[in-house]
Amino acid sequence: MNPHASMIITLSLIMGPLITISSNHWILAWTGLEISTLAITPLIAKQHHPRAIEATIKYFLTQATASTLILSSSIINAWTLGQWDITQMSNNTSCAILTTALAIKLGLAPFHFWLPEVLQGTSTTTALILTTWQKLAPLSLLVMTTQSLNTPLLLLLGLMSTLVGGWGGLNQPQLRKIMAFSSIAHLGWMITIITFSPKLMLLTFYTYITMTTAMFLMIKLLETNKISMMMTSWTKLPTLNTIMILILMSLAGLPPLTGFMPKWLILQELTKQHMFIIATMMALLSLLSLFFYLRISYCATITLPPNSTNYLQQWRHKTNQKPYLAPMATLSITLLPITPTLLTLL
Amino acid sequence: MMYFMFLFGFCFVFWMVGVSCNPSPYYGVLSLILGAASGCGVLVSVGGSFVSLVLFLIYLGGMLVIFAYSAALVAEPYPIGWGSLWGVVYMVVYVLVIIGLVVIGHWLWGTEGFGHITVDAGGLCVVRLDFSGVSWFYYLGNVIFLIAGWGLLLTLFVVLELVRGLSRGVLRAI
Repeated sequence: MNPHASMIITLSLIMGPLITISSNHWILAWTGLEISTLAITPLIAKQHHPRAIEATIKYFLTQATASTLILSSSIINAWTLGQWDITQMSNNTSCAILTTALAIKLGLAPFHFWLPEVLQGTSTTTALILTTWQKLAPLSLLVMTTQSLNTPLLLLLGLMSTLVGGWGGLNQPQLRKIMAFSSIAHLGWMITIITFSPKLMLLTFYTYITMTTAMFLMIKLLETNKISMMMTSWTKLPTLNTIMILILMSLAGLPPLTGFMPKWLILQELTKQHMFIIATMMALLSLLSLFFYLRISYCATITLPPNSTNYLQQWRHKTNQKPYLAPMATLSITLLPITPTLLTLL
Repeated sequence: MMYFMFLFGFCFVFWMVGVSCNPSPYYGVLSLILGAASGCGVLVSVGGSFVSLVLFLIYLGGMLVIFAYSAALVAEPYPIGWGSLWGVVYMVVYVLVIIGLVVIGHWLWGTEGFGHITVDAGGLCVVRLDFSGVSWFYYLGNVIFLIAGWGLLLTLFVVLELVRGLSRGVLRAI
């Protein structure tokens, strides 16, 4: 890409969600969302093969529809109430439309269909940005409007997302699509708890970012994209392979790893609010996600493909380092014991 | 914004002078278009926003194009411009004599005085409520102005990057 264009696009990608997060006025929030959508569009299409272009068009159309719905909901709110403040959104129709629009933006079920295809059509780095950085702006809008949101709708979206995230990822051999369904399931957990405790939703979000970043960096480091390729890619990095199973189990939410912390606290909060059936269903539906995380770790770490007995590490023709993998992997494995500290930090 | 109002009025008179003293229909047509656009601005300033829009669309877009192009079709191959002797003579005569007479006549025998009288204001170079909102964009709304400008620049680069390649102008798949 032209360096000037690349500079403007990268700057806008950074500034877009930051504008939305720091806004009090709906128009400024919408502007930030549009800037982030526009800025990532050429990054998705960077390789210019037909699958990437199709992913670009799908991403742009869904995000543009969601932005239009956000604008329409804020205009309905301004028409009836006379003010554009994000935190005072009292009109119920506006809240329903806004929730739907942000669900489309995030990729919650039943608006999740674009996410696996967009992530599969683009490079691993762009998939990482799409699942972590681009979720920042819509989730911040949800946190800002949480007192006026419709809890049953959010619980329905969250439950459906956990179901779809678990169920849809069961038959996937491609790693980026598996990470897409993992993202849908985690966002389902976040959406369920947002009206009861926005602090827990933010905690879930930050741990999700850590774990997803660690997993994507691992995928990029191993340069594999399919489960079948992962069976023989451990020879590239034997030591990191053992870390990968821990990251995957953290994503699945198994104790004593970090991923257990948000699930535990959310289940506790739901129980305190007497939402027993929803809490039970969420816990059971995460078992589906656990299955495909286990399958990846089975293929990557636990078993060896049929080959001769003594395996050698591959020749290293170029040094392939991802400096951020070390802190992200460490955080995504070891944060459970300091849960009270993290709760006070939020 | 007051300068803007003054500019609309001044441009209207200026381009109408250009229409009347043109040595050739090409320049006459040009000044007619620009004068009609300035006239629409004057109409907006006295409160006739709808009338101004209708004038812009129907007059400029419809009649003017057809009439002016058919008039320009019968023009001469070597048109005389405003820089030539005759153009300057026409312009000086028109401004000094005709317009000077009109202004002096209005000053001496006019009853209303100079300036507009609109529904909610009056005076020389007034700016009405909806038009003056544009000026707030440059003062209190400077942050969103910058962000909106940045967004437009970003759109330009994004579109150029997406359609760069063999077949320019389409979102290429190869």
